[in-house]
Amino acid sequence: MKPILELRNLKMYYDTQAGQVKAADDVSFVLNEGESIGLVGESGCGKTSVSMSIMKLLPENGRIISGNIFFDGKDIVNFSDEEMNKIRWAGIAMIFQAAMNSLNPVYRVGDQIVEAITAHEPNVTFEEARQRVANLYKLVGLDPERMDNYPHEYSGGMKQRAIIAMSLACNPKLIIADEPTTALDVIVQDTILRELEKVQKKLNMSMIYISHDIAVIAEVASRIAIMYAGKIVEMSDSVVIFKRPAHPYAIGLMSSFPSIRGEKKELVTIPGEPPNLLNAPDHCRFAPRCPFATDECWKQTPSYSEIESNHFVACFHPQNLKKLVNMNA
Amino acid sequence: MPNNEVVMKIENLDKFFPMKKSVFSRAKHFLHAVDKINFEIKRGKVLSLVGESGCGKTTTGKTLLKLYEPTGGKINFLGRDVTHLMNADDKKWFHSKTQMIFQDPFESLNPRKTIFDIVSEPMNIQNFETLKKRELMVMEILKRVGISPPDAFLWRYPHELSGGQRQRVAIARALVMKPEFVVADEPTSMLDVSIRTQVMKLMMELIREMNMSFLYITHDLAVARYMADEISVMYLGRMVEYANSEELINNPLHPYTKALISAVPVPDPEFKRKSVEIKGGIGKPIDPLPRCRFYDRCPFAMEICSQKEPELIEVGENHKVACFLYEQR
Ligand SMILES: Nc1ncnc2c1ncn2[C@@H]1O[C@H](COP(=O)(O)OP(=O)(O)OP(=O)(O)O)[C@@H](O)[C@H]1O
Ligand SMILES: Nc1ncnc2c1ncn2[C@@H]1O[C@H](COP(=O)(O)OP(=O)(O)OP(=O)(O)O)[C@@H](O)[C@H]1O
Ligand SMILES: [Mg+2]
Ligand SMILES: [Mg+2]
Repeated sequence: MKPILELRNLKMYYDTQAGQVKAADDVSFVLNEGESIGLVGESGCGKTSVSMSIMKLLPENGRIISGNIFFDGKDIVNFSDEEMNKIRWAGIAMIFQAAMNSLNPVYRVGDQIVEAITAHEPNVTFEEARQRVANLYKLVGLDPERMDNYPHEYSGGMKQRAIIAMSLACNPKLIIADEPTTALDVIVQDTILRELEKVQKKLNMSMIYISHDIAVIAEVASRIAIMYAGKIVEMSDSVVIFKRPAHPYAIGLMSSFPSIRGEKKELVTIPGEPPNLLNAPDHCRFAPRCPFATDECWKQTPSYSEIESNHFVACFHPQNLKKLVNMNA
Repeated sequence: MPNNEVVMKIENLDKFFPMKKSVFSRAKHFLHAVDKINFEIKRGKVLSLVGESGCGKTTTGKTLLKLYEPTGGKINFLGRDVTHLMNADDKKWFHSKTQMIFQDPFESLNPRKTIFDIVSEPMNIQNFETLKKRELMVMEILKRVGISPPDAFLWRYPHELSGGQRQRVAIARALVMKPEFVVADEPTSMLDVSIRTQVMKLMMELIREMNMSFLYITHDLAVARYMADEISVMYLGRMVEYANSEELINNPLHPYTKALISAVPVPDPEFKRKSVEIKGGIGKPIDPLPRCRFYDRCPFAMEICSQKEPELIEVGENHKVACFLYEQR
């Protein structure tokens, strides 16, 4: 297995008037060629910030403070815009969370994808590119006849699918999909996930799949990283994460989704307030909400260590969970 | 106030979009985004609209709130015909009692306004209370949607928030004045389970306390089940099934509804869900033929289904379906 992407102790902070927002704090992981990992975590925990750091598309007030990002063997942290332009779309493509407004409103949707292709592959003719886009449209369940419509004539989910088509247009080595199916019904989602899987196998493409939907992650990813307040707190094979989550936050996450199967249940939330990333403290960031917290947890940040083969956790009291804990009890 | 008062009622609502090649040509073709839809929502009740991406959910919601001029049919709000609101006073009255939570929080929040300005705007328009009081109300509602601590966010701009945080700001804005009727278009699609649950609970509380009524658009059946009293399923502009939530989920009748329910992913990486049984297919809502719109994809299609369009008929207590399989000949 050859790694395609490696993050080493990535720190990405935003400067605001009120202080620093530590959106990514010592984030490390390795992604191999052809592999899919899922990135999950509470809203606002830093998932998009990690992806935007990899794409190096940060807003003015956001900076990579330290750490490395190796893509295809090269550290791209200090790459210039020009160098990054060659990598974006053709090397790393991203399905933006803001898919719906990452299309330019004044151009026809199909033309925008054609443009993405011809910009990276000057030998492709306009007609060939249009044909390729038509095929991509079919792949994501859009009618190629709608290529000539403008973005405002698309529904939310149609725009999202157009962006998925665009991300595949230049056969990238890595796709970062940031909540790519939030606007899609389960049937369309199912079809697209299967098509993505086929393309991925064919091209040996790697994928980072960001979602708040654990059920979707369970279907697409072979490994899962769980983020909390700017840090990865647990990472392992999907089956391990589902069978024996060790971090108390992961446990809460696994036990609190509504279902359409079985009896209608009372929904549970993870008690306590979402963390404040502004001037984040030097202790375990989950401590204020954690039922297992001790003095230790309020004094320092737990290190990220391997508790069993390939199972990493950042917690002073990792749970050995055959039993599932009820966080609301 | 009688508890079964009808708050919103639509009769044969149509919304067609002209499809033209250029701005100057006359439209010869029409996209039937919403085609003869009927329903009513009583005080304190929630109707959920589910269906395939692009089937017309957002268009229904926007037409209902008069953000689009209906092509045909009637809209009745609190006993008044509001299909064509002419004078400014009537418009003001209507818009003060209704709110929309837009599907795309990246598009719908004014990028030049701070979070405080965005959330307090509905109060400013109605010249509500003192500034001090407004500030307190903004803080209160932000806290309830999990934007905490609120003062760390008040003076930020939308682009300085994560996707899910923006979505919650949009919810806070719509609910801060406790309107009588809300169209919520995929309001929690980007939220993780825990925060989503918190936000859904907040909406349920307001619905109970204030007797608010909701049209709740979602592609997530588990969410629809939790939030709604009744669920209505749309397919290519038409309503194909309608029933009480539990009934619809436990006893779906329309082949599309059945497929939709069987396709919900299961949060377990070892569970292999069978793939969706319906054929893939791209819906064509432009100048639809007079036949069942699900005909091309339906595993049970019969001859009659290609010859005329099924009507929505009552097949059980408050359970309606538009499918020839259930029509008695
Ligand atoms: N430009 C910015 N300036 C200041 N703070 C920011 C900026 N962009 C994001 N943040 C903050 O950084 C944190 C991480 O944001 P990010 O968008 O990475 O979250 P996320 O995990 O993608 O969340 P979601 O699931 O809601 O999209 C959030 O608390 C957010 O408020
Ligand atoms: N302003 C518009 N002009 C032309 N066509 C439009 C316009 N708005 C929507 N449509 C079309 O109407 C149909 C219904 O769109 P709508 O946005 O209502 O779907 P939706 O059910 O909300 O889908 P999604 O779940 O993907 O958001 C789609 O085919 C869409 O392309
Ligand atoms: Mg995000
Ligand atoms: Mg929509």
